[in-house]
Amino acid sequence: MNATRLRLVLLRNAPVALFIVVLAVFGSLSDRFLDAQNFTNILIQASHIAILGIGMTFVLLTAGIDLSVGAVMYLSVALLGIYLADVPPLLAVPAMMAAGALFGLVNAFFIVRLRVAAFIVTLATLFIGRGLALWVTETRMVFYKDHILSLARAEWLGVPWAIWVFAIVFAAAWLVLNHTPFGRQVYAVGENPDAAAKAGINVPLVLTAVYAVSGACAGIAGFVSITQVGAAASSFAMEKEFAAVAAAVLGGVSLFGGRGGVAGTVFGAVLIQTVQNGLVIVNADPYIYPLVTSSIIFLAVFVDSQRSRILERLGRRRIRIEERPV
Amino acid sequence: MIATSIAGEARPSGPRRLLRHLLFSEYLVLYLSLAYFLAVLPFVPQMASAEVMRNILSDMLPLLVVAIGQTFVLIVAGIDLSVTSIIAMASVVGASVMTGDGGYLADSALAVPGAMIAMVLVGLAIGAFNGFCVNRLGMPPFIVTLTTMMFFSGAAIWFTTFHTETSSIANLPHGFVVLGQGNLGGVPHALWVVAAVGIAAHLVLARSVLGRRLYACGQNRRAAAVSGVPVGRVIAAAFLISGACAAVASILYTGRLQTGTPILGQTILLDIIGAVVIGGTSLFGGKGKVLWTVFGVLFLVLIDTSLKMLGLSLFSVFAIKGCVILLAAVIDAVRTRYAARF
Repeated sequence: MNATRLRLVLLRNAPVALFIVVLAVFGSLSDRFLDAQNFTNILIQASHIAILGIGMTFVLLTAGIDLSVGAVMYLSVALLGIYLADVPPLLAVPAMMAAGALFGLVNAFFIVRLRVAAFIVTLATLFIGRGLALWVTETRMVFYKDHILSLARAEWLGVPWAIWVFAIVFAAAWLVLNHTPFGRQVYAVGENPDAAAKAGINVPLVLTAVYAVSGACAGIAGFVSITQVGAAASSFAMEKEFAAVAAAVLGGVSLFGGRGGVAGTVFGAVLIQTVQNGLVIVNADPYIYPLVTSSIIFLAVFVDSQRSRILERLGRRRIRIEERPV
Repeated sequence: MIATSIAGEARPSGPRRLLRHLLFSEYLVLYLSLAYFLAVLPFVPQMASAEVMRNILSDMLPLLVVAIGQTFVLIVAGIDLSVTSIIAMASVVGASVMTGDGGYLADSALAVPGAMIAMVLVGLAIGAFNGFCVNRLGMPPFIVTLTTMMFFSGAAIWFTTFHTETSSIANLPHGFVVLGQGNLGGVPHALWVVAAVGIAAHLVLARSVLGRRLYACGQNRRAAAVSGVPVGRVIAAAFLISGACAAVASILYTGRLQTGTPILGQTILLDIIGAVVIGGTSLFGGKGKVLWTVFGVLFLVLIDTSLKMLGLSLFSVFAIKGCVILLAAVIDAVRTRYAARF
């Protein structure tokens, strides 16, 4: 039993160990890597995936999935560039969040009311969202004005603007999930929707809310991303949905609902970005970036699945069906 | 809710019965395809020409092979996102074996068969790895195949850089290109291949022990395990089949394009899964047929072709495609809910 406990402790801390290994490897290869300025860069670069992943975490906690987030990012950025070009960011960001949340409500209508699988609904709205965005932009590249582009370098109290947004979204999501009734309801619905309904939780409302949250986060992520990229081509935010899911899963969020949290997701997003940043700094062959990133995600999920298997074995009741060898 | 259930209990009259018959019919998607075809015909009369028909067929064939493999995985309640990376990887590996520009077997009689064997082996190997991770390591299929997709898409591009300065490996031998474009007895080679795969897949699903076990694992994994089904191996088999099917699709695509390219199939992942689900195969396992997938692929390709011929802009192609997938999914959900009531 003691050996099992030891393995559990090792497995639980494996992602952190992985992070330390990554830091040690890149730190020894380049003296520019372990530098405060570089860490600021990593955080800025990770911010839009982390924000997207935070919204995705809400959905994943209810055992759903939202594949439309990349399309929502593009759509909200298209709206910003075409209709809100002169609006100050303090008004534009809430508008983009509202557009994203509205899109999330459409997803929720099909998923919650018509009971279509979340995977297929958001797959369809991914196409629809990108189509709408192309319609808004007339399939042209969208450029942004200086008051938005200048935010890329803007700082407040010495901290870059993107990191403030990142921190605020993270803090808000963390508070909501851990310290409000709604947060507990999200976990309860993900753990067991039938039991949650019997306990008096308004399950359809909770499900609807998580898709709206995910859409709103995609709106913010679009804004943060566009201040760094500067222009939106038709491939903007393509396949970001997979990056967001990967960040969440890397941080220990289960695809089957009820397990994980936004802190893990942020950790996952930062870890992926640290690796990519490190690869750039040590001048690695750009073709191996996806190979390294995907291997690390794979490793983290492998470790997590081994850990849940041991936990399951420990928690299993003694009465069980003998699984007959065939 | 109450209103609909009262309406449902009323004795169905003529048109109602017809509607219900259509809704529950296995051929619903085929009927929808026909209806769609007739609906767009006035706007694009050339849709009915033999030329366009032939194009629709040749667009369908490779997509159908991957989709059939995906059907197996969806039946056991899995998902295989790695199929497009298998197509890409197999394409560049196969091309690197047989290309006239310094391929491993260049100008040898074994070039074409050797390359095709290598391509199928790539598919089987990646499929086996997916199956191993899901079955032995207990990892969720979505994440396993997501990471293999990312890894092998990247690996395919990296692999290409060792063989050519350009983005794809050209100069494939004549024997291979003919295979992709020629015909036998008036029927294209590709059609023979796809028909053989389709019939084999149908026989496995409908008439074999493995087929029964696949459905059993998808419907209720625990019950299947208790009844003596080797659940792990059955699931691994589904991923292996999906990998092999993707490799066959890669042979067809590579033959058509006459080059091995790592970006082959990059954009069709959602089309593949969309087509299978439109056909009526459930994402939650236990439900699916080869014939349904054939209809799903037909429907999707028909829509793609017609939208291109209508000269619509990119945005409407995207939006209409999304709406169609959504519509098919809603119909399926309504159908399932009705079926549960009777």
